[in-house]
Amino acid sequence: MAPRENSNEPSGTPVPVETGFATLATLRTGVKIWVEKDREKRKAEILGIQPRRGKPSFYVHYEEFNKRLDEWVPPERLDLTREVEWPAPEKADKKKSSSSKATPAPPKVDPKNLKRSRSKLDREISATPSESTSVSIPGKASRATKANGKENKDLLVGSEAADGPTPKPEDEEMDLVDVQEAAAAAKGEPDAHYSREDEIEKLRTSGSMTQNQTEISRVRNLDRVQMGKFEIEPWYFSPYPIDFIDSEMVYICEFCLNYYGEVTQFERHRTKCTLLHPPGNEIYRDDNVSFFEIDGRRQRTWCRNLCLLSKLFLDHKTLYYDVDPFLFYCMCTRDEHGCHLVGYFSKEKESAEAYNVACILTLPQYQRKGFGKLLIDFSYLLSKREGRLGSPEKPLSDLGLLGYRAYWQETIVDLLMDGRAEGNIEDIGAASAMTTNDVLHTLQNLNMLRYYKGQHVVVLTDAVIQQRERQKEKEKIKGRRVIDPDRLIWKPPVFSAASRTWNW
Amino acid sequence: MTQRVTGQRFRQRKLSTKQNLPILRENEVEPLPDDEASRHIPKVETGVEKGEEIEHHLQAVIASQAVRTAAGKSENVYIPTPEAVDSQLQYPNLYPRKFTQPATYIRFSSTVEDSIGCLYCMNSDDAAFLKVYNQKRGKNIHCSEDEFEQVMNFFEEMSQTKQPYATVDNTPVLPYEDFESEFDETISELARRFAKDIYVHWKNQRLLKGNRMLMPTLKFETNLDTDDSDPYVCFRRREVRQVRKTRGRDAQVTEKIRKLRKELEEARFLMAQVKKREMAQRDQLAIDKQIFEQRAQVKELKRKLSIKADDEELLITQKPPPKPNKIKIDVPNRGVPGLVRPQVSRPDGRILDSDLIYLEDQKAKKDQMIDGFIEENLMKHQKWNVGWVDQTWRPITPPLETAVAKSEFRAVHISSESQLLTPPPSLPEENTGEQGDPMEVDQSEKQIEPRRSARIRYATPPEDIPFQEQDRFRRRLGRGGRIMMDRRGVKRPLDGVEEVECRVADRYKFSGEESEDDQIYPIDWTDNLHIRYRIMIERQGEKQHAQQAAAANRRAIENHNRSASGHLLPPSGSG
Repeated sequence: MAPRENSNEPSGTPVPVETGFATLATLRTGVKIWVEKDREKRKAEILGIQPRRGKPSFYVHYEEFNKRLDEWVPPERLDLTREVEWPAPEKADKKKSSSSKATPAPPKVDPKNLKRSRSKLDREISATPSESTSVSIPGKASRATKANGKENKDLLVGSEAADGPTPKPEDEEMDLVDVQEAAAAAKGEPDAHYSREDEIEKLRTSGSMTQNQTEISRVRNLDRVQMGKFEIEPWYFSPYPIDFIDSEMVYICEFCLNYYGEVTQFERHRTKCTLLHPPGNEIYRDDNVSFFEIDGRRQRTWCRNLCLLSKLFLDHKTLYYDVDPFLFYCMCTRDEHGCHLVGYFSKEKESAEAYNVACILTLPQYQRKGFGKLLIDFSYLLSKREGRLGSPEKPLSDLGLLGYRAYWQETIVDLLMDGRAEGNIEDIGAASAMTTNDVLHTLQNLNMLRYYKGQHVVVLTDAVIQQRERQKEKEKIKGRRVIDPDRLIWKPPVFSAASRTWNW
Repeated sequence: MTQRVTGQRFRQRKLSTKQNLPILRENEVEPLPDDEASRHIPKVETGVEKGEEIEHHLQAVIASQAVRTAAGKSENVYIPTPEAVDSQLQYPNLYPRKFTQPATYIRFSSTVEDSIGCLYCMNSDDAAFLKVYNQKRGKNIHCSEDEFEQVMNFFEEMSQTKQPYATVDNTPVLPYEDFESEFDETISELARRFAKDIYVHWKNQRLLKGNRMLMPTLKFETNLDTDDSDPYVCFRRREVRQVRKTRGRDAQVTEKIRKLRKELEEARFLMAQVKKREMAQRDQLAIDKQIFEQRAQVKELKRKLSIKADDEELLITQKPPPKPNKIKIDVPNRGVPGLVRPQVSRPDGRILDSDLIYLEDQKAKKDQMIDGFIEENLMKHQKWNVGWVDQTWRPITPPLETAVAKSEFRAVHISSESQLLTPPPSLPEENTGEQGDPMEVDQSEKQIEPRRSARIRYATPPEDIPFQEQDRFRRRLGRGGRIMMDRRGVKRPLDGVEEVECRVADRYKFSGEESEDDQIYPIDWTDNLHIRYRIMIERQGEKQHAQQAAAANRRAIENHNRSASGHLLPPSGSG
């Protein structure tokens, strides 16, 4: 994926980036501008523009920062004193556009005209259901992209080069595709690398993660979420009902995970809801946590709700397809109110690529408390019961990578420190249900694999040992949370062809 | 370049994952130049998407970890995430302390829909409406929130089933009448009273929303082209493979399921019917009781007013016990009617008992047939005999007038009664009897066909021979207690035809005391026709008194016939 790196370094790009000064009015999506963040200026890309409280507001993605830090910023935080980067047209149309049309330097009137004509159109066809999307933020965003997005599209579909500032109504449906393509292009992701069709087909048969820029480059749609005792700020887009865009807060029932856009509704729901724990069988219980196993096919609503919720915090998760082929292992803490969902991981009933985890998430309100390690540990415990090696589905998120690395390191170091004089990588994998590749990755990452006196050796480095000892001290003080394999009452579920087809 | 140098020094082997590697501490290995440390070990990808791998915070944490491992310092660097804060809502109010942990692991299979009651939850608009509405009702019964939601939910669900594409094709909101006719058990009687008023509110809300569902719903696929690019469309179905050609096994499975379902439904129907019946019975009992009591009252009243009447009518009308239904089995008419078969076994080999045949039916039928046959024959005979004088009449006809005393007959010596009683004899005996003994004749006859003896041995006729051809014997009691043997189907051997013929001709030569000029008519007694005829006549005799009409005529001929059919001993010339 080299192109990506290129696009991040403007100096090294083969295609020179168009730069120039901009005003608030000329800003549009795709423009990269310097934005003040934590008293620092960061380069950010505008993903959406929407008027908020009478002022335009800009949804920006900071370069080299995770999308969960994307945010709406007021115009004051934009640095218009520095040059902005105009979005690069697609490589394919670069040549063409130079001949057919001038570079998309924005004439001041153009977007405004567009907007006006657009909004008129909106009103005219607002009755159609598809239009409802364009009321939304992504819809707004798409409208703003129109100026350059249309151009791309025209060249892509090979229609008349420019048909004036007023677009045809049919273009409406292309908008979203446009903005996604634009986003993909902005991300420097070559879309030829992995076609949308290929990915959808792959997702249909297995997996729950997407690499597709069009699916993940979306403007966050919920402002705040209330769940249990907490208010949480969502990290990413999740396809909750479109009506919630207007809600300041979305209320999520802690037990059934149903969602309500209004506190009255939520309170009414709470008077009726009788669930007190995830609707499945408890398969593990110790002093701190319980695990519930839930079949996506049998508990469709609950699992859908769970996926909607977790999508708020998992960038690469896709909800394109339904939850049927997954089992959900939900970790809860208990008190007299009920079993509070802390985190979960989903797992394919049959993974073609030997993944033992599809998605894994500790809810943000419970993060940094060691629950993630328990979840990972539990997923490997299930794999051990199954007598298989497992690995999490890729791509991992940044937090996922760190979590897994920490777990792998601890597991492997513990295994190596049990006094053995030698060991091979496959045995370590078998003992921990880790794939050989993950063992290798960990050893290598910790610089523990070396070549010494004509052969490879595993070196327990001082740093690794020290770190482990520090960890143990900490555990002594804080108490150690581990999964006790004896408390797992579980048989690997078997799904026959008939049970998959008929739900027997 | 260093790599090349080291490569020249010693060739590095590839790392094998199966091979045991020594585990060493850091002080046991020589420190190596950094870039040589991990050379020739395949690079393993992190699994994080390349584009995100370079993200600032991740790199910072990885770097800090590297620093930590190197320097042994404990400085925690985190990837910053948006924060979660405590909510303003009163948690204990919303989530009451209801949970008690069971001793065993929880097993649970109810769905969300099962557990959350009425799906519709009222929003602030609804609450405002309800408040105003209840105020307006004043002292009348107020509509509770639950009832309100019930009604709203009913409207929502009903319009969803009736207009599933309301969002797409702009259908008008359903009129109230459509709902009223559909009220079912999901909407309680109490709530129905408010339905009409709530409908107005519901309709307004729907109109505000463009006739879409009031509760926010997820967007599912609509099979339109816009689906694919719409980020809100989620949880699409995975069409499980292509539509398969129906395989035999699949068809079987579906068939089985269908059958199961049908049977279950039938069982359910049966149960419903039983329930209905029991209910009816209960009602009937109640009514009976009422009748009884009322009758008792009437009785009392009667007594009080001293009305003397039949009290019988006041008794509970006792139904006659249900008569068991007579099961009538239609006996199919088998075989040639009119033929009496010795019912030992039947040509089809079935045991007689296997068919329930009513004797009286059978008899009546037989009698009818026989009567007809005889009547016919009698007429025929009369026709034939017109203008003829029957010379055979006198000599053969037995004396009709008196029952002859036994003593008048010659005593018959039966050498071994048992043999005679069980025809046919198991073995043809050596004939040593005197000539002139009537039984001897019979026996001697048998003696002349010794080759058939094997056949005669059978106590029961063989089944492989057709009925008509089987040999049959019958013992009869004649007048005066004489024992007569009838046989049938016994064929004479062809070679002895002449001899037998003359013997037969002379059979009765010396058997009688009558004069020489009496004519002797040789008759083959074993002839089928004769046997049949005799049988008929016997039956006729039974029927005689019943058939008065043809009596006179018949009697004459009967006598004639009897003489024709004959006896073993022709009557003496006394007649």
